[in-house]
Amino acid sequence: MDAKNGSENKDGQASPDYSRREVLLTFGGLVAAVGGGAATWGGLELMVTSRQTVDSWNKAVCRFCGTGCGVMVGMKDGRVVDVRGDELAHNKGVICIKGSMLPELTRIQGRLTSPKIRKEGKLVDASWEEAMSLVAAKFSENIRQFGPDSVAFYGSGQLFTEESYTANKLFKAGIRTNNVDGNPRLCMASAVTGYVSTYGKDEPPGCYADTDDAHCFFLIGANSYECHQPIFERIRQRKRANPDTVIVCVDPRRTKTAEHSDIHLPVIPGTDLLLLNSMAFVILEEGLQDQSFIDKHVRFSTGEHNVDQAAFRQFLQPYAPEKVEQELGVSAADIRRVAFLFAKSPATMSLWTMGVNQRTQGTFLNNMLNSLHLITGQFGRPGATPFSLTGQPNACGGVRDTGALSQALPGGRLVANPEHRHEMEEIWKVPAGTISERVGFDAINLFRAMEDGRVKAALIMCTNPGGSLPAAARYNAAMEKCFTVVSDVVEDSETQRHAQVVLPAALWIEKQGVTGQGERRYQLTPKLLDPPGQARSDLQILVDLAARLGHDKLITAHTPQAVWDEWREVSTHSLYNFKGITYERLAKERGLQWPCPTEDHPGTPRRYVEGVDPFVTKGAGIEFYGNHDDKKAVVYLRPYVPSPERTTAEHPLYLTTGRVLEQFHTGTLTERISELHKATGDAMFDLNPQDAQRLGVRDGDRIEVKSKYGSVIGQARITDVSRLGVIFAAFYDAKLLVNLAVADNYDPTSKQPEYKVTAVSVRKVTA
Amino acid sequence: MNFDYLLVVMVLGTLACVLGVILCIRTARTRFDPIESEHKIINLGVARIPALAFAKLVAFVSLIVLPAGAAFFANYHTFEGVHEVRGCAGCHVMLPMANDMKDPRSGTLAARHYKNAWIAENQCYHCHSDYGLGGNLEAKMTGFRHLARYTTHLYREPIEARVRFDNQNCLNCHAGTPRFEAVQSHKTAHDKLVQNKMICLNCHGQAHPTSVQRTPGSFDYARLTERLK
Repeated sequence: MDAKNGSENKDGQASPDYSRREVLLTFGGLVAAVGGGAATWGGLELMVTSRQTVDSWNKAVCRFCGTGCGVMVGMKDGRVVDVRGDELAHNKGVICIKGSMLPELTRIQGRLTSPKIRKEGKLVDASWEEAMSLVAAKFSENIRQFGPDSVAFYGSGQLFTEESYTANKLFKAGIRTNNVDGNPRLCMASAVTGYVSTYGKDEPPGCYADTDDAHCFFLIGANSYECHQPIFERIRQRKRANPDTVIVCVDPRRTKTAEHSDIHLPVIPGTDLLLLNSMAFVILEEGLQDQSFIDKHVRFSTGEHNVDQAAFRQFLQPYAPEKVEQELGVSAADIRRVAFLFAKSPATMSLWTMGVNQRTQGTFLNNMLNSLHLITGQFGRPGATPFSLTGQPNACGGVRDTGALSQALPGGRLVANPEHRHEMEEIWKVPAGTISERVGFDAINLFRAMEDGRVKAALIMCTNPGGSLPAAARYNAAMEKCFTVVSDVVEDSETQRHAQVVLPAALWIEKQGVTGQGERRYQLTPKLLDPPGQARSDLQILVDLAARLGHDKLITAHTPQAVWDEWREVSTHSLYNFKGITYERLAKERGLQWPCPTEDHPGTPRRYVEGVDPFVTKGAGIEFYGNHDDKKAVVYLRPYVPSPERTTAEHPLYLTTGRVLEQFHTGTLTERISELHKATGDAMFDLNPQDAQRLGVRDGDRIEVKSKYGSVIGQARITDVSRLGVIFAAFYDAKLLVNLAVADNYDPTSKQPEYKVTAVSVRKVTA
Repeated sequence: MNFDYLLVVMVLGTLACVLGVILCIRTARTRFDPIESEHKIINLGVARIPALAFAKLVAFVSLIVLPAGAAFFANYHTFEGVHEVRGCAGCHVMLPMANDMKDPRSGTLAARHYKNAWIAENQCYHCHSDYGLGGNLEAKMTGFRHLARYTTHLYREPIEARVRFDNQNCLNCHAGTPRFEAVQSHKTAHDKLVQNKMICLNCHGQAHPTSVQRTPGSFDYARLTERLK
């Protein structure tokens, strides 16, 4: 073609034409433009990939409290670099400041990396073989010489389910002692006895999602703003979405939870059964009850024998608001108002935890809280449920469900029941009579048994009783008299100071296992890291001990999944049935709530409700199948009995203890995370300004807080958070071991210690 | 009625494009040698200029001025357009975020901000300010990538944020306010928040519908992807 002269087409007509060069240039330009764009795009794709801050996101569960938040763990180059709330988990992406610091948890200083044996008063490094041989020899020797009840296991609501299950089986069906207990006794034993006596079965009937539908929240003895923050955040979100929602907080202190509530009832410590009974009085007096629900689903009982509703009404007569207001410290008008809100709101959810459970009347308080829901029909509908929050990540699944408590056997069975013992002997394939009929030592009595020499060797796993038991001086001394073996993740806890052998344990994602949080939801934590040094999982330690004690034929499951599969199978013989919760499902799904009998079952958010709970008979609506005889829940007539700790002229103030947001339990983990330590600083005594004025104490003064059980010296902080006559200290700080002064009383039914009420004197330390 | 300056920008940009294309074709077909030899003068009414100079001027306008103008208008429209919620919701994959934000029953952070009128207008842009003209280069580049994938349909739902959200977007409004400063955890986590080592959402909940809700076929998908009126 001639570019300059043009060309002719087939028809001989002149037409504009283009030279080959022009065509090539045009196409070349186009290709260059497209290529440039594609290269830029490709470069950006690469850039985005290269700028990823993590190599992988892994689904796991927070290590800390009983909320059991789902988290996503970001790993890069084999390290944990980021943690986020899992938006698909029940917590909808919300975690708290402790959960946000989980990356730091994997790098804390002072990890135990080698077994240690006490020699000449000092703990020195030893090999696993040396340490475990010594442990096995001491246990065998004591069992041979003094019988199986001379040894004990003291576990934790922070062990994985597989670990608690194995320990329980080893001690109860292998060693043949029911001396299996643990720190869950200190935090939720009263909730267990409350639920079991009311419904026939343990564990809350409702779920966290009930917060999305509740119109009235009744928080009693629960500072969930600090202790279960993601749950309180959900409550606040409910309130923001529905401003008519009412939050009632019952607490002697104006906690952060109280601050964010609509109504705060600052009861005098130890008196709140007066409030609950008085609310029941108002409900019946004013006809606020749901009579139809009562008629269908409720039976009344004194605890000894059944009575009718009239007897219940009669029992409540002394609890008229006007009669109790003085002792309770809350006005009659407020009691009446709250009773009305509780009964008549479209859906009431009550939430409670240590303020109710850690009490000499803990079981009665739990009974009465459930009873308020039963008489008002605030039950089984979305948002209407009684919910006991729990403090540890696996107290529910690991300890309550597996029956790793001194009176319990797996799946809600009891040691005291011969049929239950026989069932478990058959399931575990051990000879009849293997499981001892003697109820084991609960936590307090276990340490008392160490004190007087009845228990001579104990394995303490994943907990720090030296810091967490009440009357700390007494029980720390008791441990000195016993051959204590402590499996722990960090060095130098209060408990290890009394240990003869210390075993280094894996922490959080250094091992795999299942935890069960407060709403019956089982979740899987994967193994993403190797434990430091020679540290091992607690399951490995238990399997090793079992073999050394000659129980290798009993403890045949050696991996977390094998133990879980065995435990799943065991559960099929109970109303806890979760056969359908396999490791495979747990790896994919965001936890599952039992009962869940088959692998295609979606889990049970609300128990005892037809269509949701697989065990409810068709057509029953609501059925309390845990009480076999009449399938009704029990409302008990529970009289208020004052705490043994009444203030006197000698001890005029009430000491109460608790947690703060940034710290978990005795601080062995959280105190090692610098941000959390800085946030809280050293623990102090919170003293009301009027009390401080009377005592001549100024902010920052050192004070001695003294009870009948011991004394502790610390710094005073003057704040009106504490009501008049109440002094508070958090228990995370070993330097302010407040448990030295805490009373040595417990609930006679649940055996849970009363941390919340101790009569004390306070004086300024001048020297 | 509010003056819709973005519409004017879009019209101007489109005109620049169309005109640019027409003039480019015309320039491509222009034979400069004959014009140069003819020495023709073109009368533009206000000025008389040689035909060759005129042809060069047209070439300059078509090859430089109009493409630059079109690029400017397009970018201006994009950067300014994303200030408005409707700009974001223009892409199908962003509809769930916008619909959820306007859902009074939703409890997401976006919905709470919207419902309580904490941000009066341009709600998306307030929390994603890095996409605007003043934002960082990274946001521009990722924005280009999003655009490329969206227009070529090389994406899968649910879409997933791959680059870290900058906490500064939150701190711009919240840091220093009495309510923010009163929360101890903000002091505890200050360094981590400022350095983007911890996301604000950890404590404050999900910002938008979850990936499961945004998955085609999910229970919420149809509702979340309804075209905004």
